[in-house]
Amino acid sequence: MTEQSIMTSFWLWQLLGRLHPLIVHFPISLLVVALIIEIYSWRKKDQTIRSGLYLILFIGTLTAIISCVFGILLKGQDEYTSNTLTIHQWTGIATAIMSIGTLYLFRLSGKRPQRIKVYRAFLVFTVLGVGVAGHLGASLTHGADYLTEVLPLQRNNAFSGDPNFDLTSFKNNSGSQQREDQIAAINIEVRSIFAHNCYKCHSAEKTKGQLRLDNKELVMRGGKHGEIIQPGHPEKSELIRRLLLPREDEESMPPKGKTLSEKEIAILDLWIKMGALWPADLNEKSIYRVAALAPRKPTVPTNDSALTNPIDHFVDTYFAEKKMAWPSRVDDRIFIRRIYLDLIGLLPLPEKIDSFIADTNLAKRELLVTELLNRDDDYAQHWLTFWNDALRNDYSGTGYITEGRFAITDWLYESLKNNKPYDQFVRELISPDKRSEGFIRGIQWRGTVNASQRVEMQAAQNISQVFLGLNLKCASCHDSFISDLKLSEAYAFANIFSDTTLEISRCDKPTGKMAGTKVIFSELGSVDSTLTVPEKLRQLAEFLTAPENGRLYRTIVNRVWAQLMGRGIVEPVDMMDNEPWSQDLLDWLASDFVEHKGDLKQLIFTITTSETYQLSSVGIKDENDIFSDNYTFRGMHRRRLTAEQFADAVSTIVAPIYPDTVRQYDPFKNAKTIEPFNYARASLVKNDIFLTALGRPNRENVSTSRSSQANLLQALELTNGSTFNNVLQVGANKWSEKYHNNEQIVNELYKMCLGRLPHEAEQKNALRVLAASPDGESVQDLMWSVLLLPEFQLIY
Amino acid sequence: MSNHWNRREFLKKTSSAAFAAMAAGMPTSLLNSCAAPTIPAKADTVILLWMAGGMAHTDTFDPKKYTPYEKGMQANSVLSTFKSLPTALDGIHFSEGLQSIGKVLNEGTLIRSYQAADLGFILHSRHQYNWHTCYEPPQTVAAPHIGSWIAKQLGPKNPVIPAFIDIGQRFTVGEAEELKAFHTAGFLGSEYGPFFIPDPSAGLDSVKPPVGMSYQRFEKRNQLYKDLISSSPMGEFGSDYQKESLQRTMEQAYRLLKSPESKAFDLSQEPKESYNIYNTGKFGLGCLLARRLTDQGARFISVTTEYEPFKGWDTHENGYTRLIEMKKQIDMPVAQLIKDLRQSGRLDRTMIILASEFSRDMMTEGRPGAKVKEQVDQPDIITDIKNYGMHRHFTDGCSILLFGGGVRKGFTYGKTADERPCKSIEKPIKIAQLHQTIYHALGIPQDTNYVIEERPFFTTPDGNGKAELELFA
Repeated sequence: MTEQSIMTSFWLWQLLGRLHPLIVHFPISLLVVALIIEIYSWRKKDQTIRSGLYLILFIGTLTAIISCVFGILLKGQDEYTSNTLTIHQWTGIATAIMSIGTLYLFRLSGKRPQRIKVYRAFLVFTVLGVGVAGHLGASLTHGADYLTEVLPLQRNNAFSGDPNFDLTSFKNNSGSQQREDQIAAINIEVRSIFAHNCYKCHSAEKTKGQLRLDNKELVMRGGKHGEIIQPGHPEKSELIRRLLLPREDEESMPPKGKTLSEKEIAILDLWIKMGALWPADLNEKSIYRVAALAPRKPTVPTNDSALTNPIDHFVDTYFAEKKMAWPSRVDDRIFIRRIYLDLIGLLPLPEKIDSFIADTNLAKRELLVTELLNRDDDYAQHWLTFWNDALRNDYSGTGYITEGRFAITDWLYESLKNNKPYDQFVRELISPDKRSEGFIRGIQWRGTVNASQRVEMQAAQNISQVFLGLNLKCASCHDSFISDLKLSEAYAFANIFSDTTLEISRCDKPTGKMAGTKVIFSELGSVDSTLTVPEKLRQLAEFLTAPENGRLYRTIVNRVWAQLMGRGIVEPVDMMDNEPWSQDLLDWLASDFVEHKGDLKQLIFTITTSETYQLSSVGIKDENDIFSDNYTFRGMHRRRLTAEQFADAVSTIVAPIYPDTVRQYDPFKNAKTIEPFNYARASLVKNDIFLTALGRPNRENVSTSRSSQANLLQALELTNGSTFNNVLQVGANKWSEKYHNNEQIVNELYKMCLGRLPHEAEQKNALRVLAASPDGESVQDLMWSVLLLPEFQLIY
Repeated sequence: MSNHWNRREFLKKTSSAAFAAMAAGMPTSLLNSCAAPTIPAKADTVILLWMAGGMAHTDTFDPKKYTPYEKGMQANSVLSTFKSLPTALDGIHFSEGLQSIGKVLNEGTLIRSYQAADLGFILHSRHQYNWHTCYEPPQTVAAPHIGSWIAKQLGPKNPVIPAFIDIGQRFTVGEAEELKAFHTAGFLGSEYGPFFIPDPSAGLDSVKPPVGMSYQRFEKRNQLYKDLISSSPMGEFGSDYQKESLQRTMEQAYRLLKSPESKAFDLSQEPKESYNIYNTGKFGLGCLLARRLTDQGARFISVTTEYEPFKGWDTHENGYTRLIEMKKQIDMPVAQLIKDLRQSGRLDRTMIILASEFSRDMMTEGRPGAKVKEQVDQPDIITDIKNYGMHRHFTDGCSILLFGGGVRKGFTYGKTADERPCKSIEKPIKIAQLHQTIYHALGIPQDTNYVIEERPFFTTPDGNGKAELELFA
């Protein structure tokens, strides 16, 4: 509680505060009347009318002062926090002071008539002050647009500021072409509002109250209580009435869940006011943004000759459009840590960091990228995590006990290690052999399964999500509410994976209709339904991986970009119909990727050698900002180490978290010489409580992004969980034996963990603890503290 | 809008709200208010007593005609393998071995008509998944456990007691992966996931400094951590939500581990007399831990007899002999839990549910009219006592006990047939109704949902679960 609100909480103060809007009318009217009398007497040279002026001015001034005091009492009670309030307050106080001056000068001018001009000037300013303060006060109580909203020209101002849909443009609807565009725009907006909020009960799927909102004629016809729209008259329209009803009213719409936003209601209102126009040709037009399917190769803009990487040219153009300067480049020490973690998931050794910093070769960063990408096994073991999540491949999980699931690790590891061209990679998953069939075979539980989760449908859903950035899940149960996808299309796609024709079920109820056979983007080709499943899948794989399917390649380059930069060019990465922050950059990356024959390492090389990747990292204050509509790209987002990166770092620095014996897959089973391994990388072990707490998903479903927000259960696991604690204990003892003095321990630990020596203050803090008890325990506690530092936990 | 957007916005809302709520000691749902009308909450805490493995209703809370074992008897003639004994309620009998619970039945409601889902060829963990999430696996997204929904909607009751505590289940047993699949917050995010205490007698280990670390050293370590952060040059990189969430949660964990409430997890603090009543094994001690945590302000606790294939209530043979043991495990502790909470006055605001994934029968596998693949050989003529018992999985007629949290006292709901098949014949109740009844007691409205991948995912499928108001006083 603020001091002010304590003061105003006493009832009398509250009452007086609430009298402020009443009392202000005295100074307003009295001071204005005083001015009118002055003007009158000045123009008519009539002094007689001025006789009561002193009393008027006196009461005006007194009430002005009282108004100020009451106003301050009121301020504490209401939740006004705007600038308007501050300005109102100070103009009010200024006006009161001015009126005191006016009163004084009036008295003075009685004795010295030559001062009357000064007095009159003061009076004019006082009245101006009254006017301004009064207007601001009214804005606070009635709203800023109270006056303007009735002006004919300003009518639609209240709708401005909508990022997606700019209603202000409706002000000047002169040209007929423009008007048509506007009608189309608002119509799409209205249908989109219907689709998102109302289709669930008022469309072909379900028609409550005999009302359907998914087609012009039916909207205009209305429901069982008659018409819902009176064109031109929102105030008489049942639709608007229902939306504005209080939530507890039985007739309020929608009856459950989220209500419509003010903006949405305003759009419907305006649309009806404009005549509820719904041109016939618009029925065909989608209300959802649909991304182009075809590939497109934009010309690389070359405005800055200093830049060489095409990515940088696109970003340069982007920054220019946003009127932003290039942020600074990251230094070598941070770069080497970042690139190691991003490409192979491991930390660089201190010696490597030193020699890299000392290296004077201008191309050293590029050379390092190449060097790391050539470490095939390290690369594969790092990217395995990403692909295991995406392809929901794991060493343990549901389904295995009843042979309802198959792992693809062997195939996946080799594909990554050999940098299999992406089109081939996808073809082998869609049209698989024994080693890669696990992905489309889905997860089968014992017993009967909901129709929308039969394995053929799982295959259709997962392929759509992972490879095409398309959500087919809604449409596999009923016509989608979030896209144009229809139930029949989802079944036609799933049917490709089935050896018998699927019967379409709607919300798990058989419809009696049989599914057709159709590729989800049918322009890519048509699968012959008479073929066997393997033949159909071969066809499908060819169609989906053809260069004409720009969506496949945009989806993967966007995923890789998101992995390296902390945010995709399109977000969420599974919704490729959303708008990218740079369409040109996305399109160019995708076509360049195709030109390089789907070479993932080449793609990673192109991205990580760009100046864009090497910019200083960006801290995000609020996780929402990453996904907001007005997101601006400024560089790589700081990211938390993944569970696997953290575990591997601890295994190398402290002691193995996972001994080699728990490894679930042997990457070197075909190698002639066996390299000694002292720990198993976390991407090769079964999920456990430790990894789960740090964010490794339970791979029952496709998972394409992990949350890097910390939480309490995770902190508890790190604070007292036995896995981490035991490893620290073992490691600390090892270190205490290995190093002979405390300074060495602190320095080595900082170098190993953070790639730098400790600063003086850090060293002092660390040494103080070590000196107090120079044993394994204090080393263990120091290790724990350093490993949990944000500097260690985040990729800068 | 994307699911991320909604999800993250939600996280933002709740994390700040959770904090505010911790400070103010009020449920987050009030802060996170939606336009939907709120239901007044009758309960603040839920304790789920989970009879893992399929508890036969005819041999527990819904006994039928008793036929004692005799060599050469007709299997089809056996409906109950125990005697019926009276309870505190007139005309209501329990199977022998449950007399203590019978004596407190006047404190709660007995449901005799629960119908488990039809999921085909039976897999326990799949039915358990269905019971705990209200959804049938597999799902297109990871469905949250009922405890996670409650943790998300209401937050912790006491900020230092995790909102969702799961006592007694280990994940090193058969079907462990299937068990893990529903012991999760799913798409709600791991912060609403279960806090596992697989062994209640070692509960304290989960909430104290690491094994072997004194409180003094724990303090010192935390101080060092803070000193190193403040002397780190990374401060100059400015704020970042990840950095801040890391530091904030580390601080929370530190506070929890040294809070006085953590004593609640220590069963050795319980007076010996009381400890002995509860100490019938792991489940009994789990009930004791649940009571101690309820005293300190827990939100959702699950205590299980532990599922392990062919163990516990999963009686594929020797049903009669094994049920003697199972009843011993549960009878005293469950009754004592009710009595203790009644005495402390907490029973009014604590809802206790005793349930199982399905029931068992000697003859029918699945349900009458929808029989599924048999898993147990049952000879028609019983010549060995190991074949005397309810060994097949029966889904149509299971018993549930409800106590406290506004539930009617001394009330019986629903009925099963007195002759085989002993299926639900009055007021059958299903999982969605049961879940919404629990939510209703907690003041969580029926349309509670979470937008994931752009579609609303409701607490009960399509938000259709209706609370059975008849169960409330």
